[in-house]
Amino acid sequence: MSVLSADARRDFEIHRYPALIYALVPVLAVVLQAWLPRLLGRFAWFDLPLVITVFFALSRRNPIQGSILGGILGIFEDALSGHPVGINGIAKTLVGYLAATVGILVNVENHAVRLIMTFLLSLVGSATYFFVVRFLLGMSVDTNWMSELYKAIGNSVIALVLFPLLDRTKIRD
Amino acid sequence: MESFVVRYRNLLVLLALLVAQILGLAMQVRRANSGQGDGQEVRLIRLWANGIVSPPEKALHSTGSGVSGIWNNYFDLRHVRQQNAELQKTVDRLRLEQAALLEDAKQGQRLQALLGFQQKYIYTTMPAEVIGTSGTEQSRVFTINKGKKDGIDRDMAVITPEGIVGKVRDVFGHTAQVLAINDQTSGAGVIMESTRIRGILRGNAQGRPEIVDVISDQRIKQGDKVLTAGGDQIFPRGLPVGVVDFVVNDPERDGFVDVILKPAAHLDQLDEVLVITVTEPQFSKEQQQDIATSEALKGAEAEKQKTSEGMAEKLPGLIDPNLPADQQPLNDTSNPGFPTRPQAPLHPDRFTPTDAAPSAGAAQGSGQAQPKKPEPTKPAAPNTPAPQGDKQ
Repeated sequence: MSVLSADARRDFEIHRYPALIYALVPVLAVVLQAWLPRLLGRFAWFDLPLVITVFFALSRRNPIQGSILGGILGIFEDALSGHPVGINGIAKTLVGYLAATVGILVNVENHAVRLIMTFLLSLVGSATYFFVVRFLLGMSVDTNWMSELYKAIGNSVIALVLFPLLDRTKIRD
Repeated sequence: MESFVVRYRNLLVLLALLVAQILGLAMQVRRANSGQGDGQEVRLIRLWANGIVSPPEKALHSTGSGVSGIWNNYFDLRHVRQQNAELQKTVDRLRLEQAALLEDAKQGQRLQALLGFQQKYIYTTMPAEVIGTSGTEQSRVFTINKGKKDGIDRDMAVITPEGIVGKVRDVFGHTAQVLAINDQTSGAGVIMESTRIRGILRGNAQGRPEIVDVISDQRIKQGDKVLTAGGDQIFPRGLPVGVVDFVVNDPERDGFVDVILKPAAHLDQLDEVLVITVTEPQFSKEQQQDIATSEALKGAEAEKQKTSEGMAEKLPGLIDPNLPADQQPLNDTSNPGFPTRPQAPLHPDRFTPTDAAPSAGAAQGSGQAQPKKPEPTKPAAPNTPAPQGDKQ
């Protein structure tokens, strides 16, 4: 894992994508996240909006954009869940920010690094979600950490497959 | 100052986003605690999210349904004719049963109205297809392809033929969100069929429905059926909810248990559901005819009973209409024994009844009946043991 200066990495390795990808991929992630669990039932151990947030935050290496994208996707998820709007929003805002910040500092082209980052950020997202629900809202929600662990693994596997596919769509100078 | 903002721009934006969302959450929770629903802004966000997500979901669902429909409707049609004949027979039988049940339901409802009960019966349901989920495990909400324009409204009960599923939470133009019974924020009044223990049903973290705050009771057994209690004004009474799977102690309250259920409906694999749209009686022409037939049959039965009662009135009986019920001859138990014998006449003649059998005392043509003479008592034999009372 090579560590470069933040400015150097931001200047030379910011990935750009067609506008259609920016618009379509997040929407598709939310749609599939709502539709696939109907087919997979309780084995739907993944969070596609989180994976997409991590991908764009790492690629753009811009914490503000990462935070905003994560926040919007999280709010969309909340809107569909029937729970108060903002729980997932806060969690994914934080995930987007952290992913972009780490993306500035380390080389994230390596698949193993991406896999580990997605895994850890998934757990951070879950922890933030439960923190908000339990301590900020004071709601009595039980925690099933095994399920969150499976979800983190599922996100990592999806990232391993999806990130190279999305990398192919980036605009090359 | 400017350099501070530029330097910590990212962090400041993050904080601003987090604070804005936390404030938004606080406002929502405050509204929820005061008994109000979603605010206009939140409802707008939900509407937008639903408007963006629902059309692709519907398209995906239609594509999947189309492919499976082509297979099911054109290629996989073996034994359909035989099944159709069997189903027709079942429909005929069920129509008659339904007519009788509807009459009973009407009668029950009339009686309950008299008693002041406010419980509901299912009369009209609307089939709907599940097109999407909430996407998160913490929320057991799913989307159906029927909305306000189809007559769906908030708090309508959603069921399957196997059992209850949930209630309508949010309604949009062509879609609606349903809160399943295994969601942690759901609630329904239930009753255990055998023990008649009542409780509140909600979901747990594992997505299983459980009855909470039940006082520990040894009678609660695995496999006990659980039904809707009907007191929540959402689910009609008596619908199957599930069966008891196991019982766990309430970690927060001593002496209380949580009863984990195995739901009757397949909550993880829902394809089609029924929304109960009307709980008032609305019968089709066919049902009305069936009910009329059933009532006519019952009328004939009543006529027969009335005739038999009329006949009974005309015949001599043990009921005196002028006497109160406790003094009726039928209820007179003062003379339960044998008829009293008339006193012996002073001058018996040939017509005087005697104890002797007619053939024993009077030979044919003898012209006089012989009175029976008492037989002499025999002395007890010397070696015969005396009765115990004589010994004393």
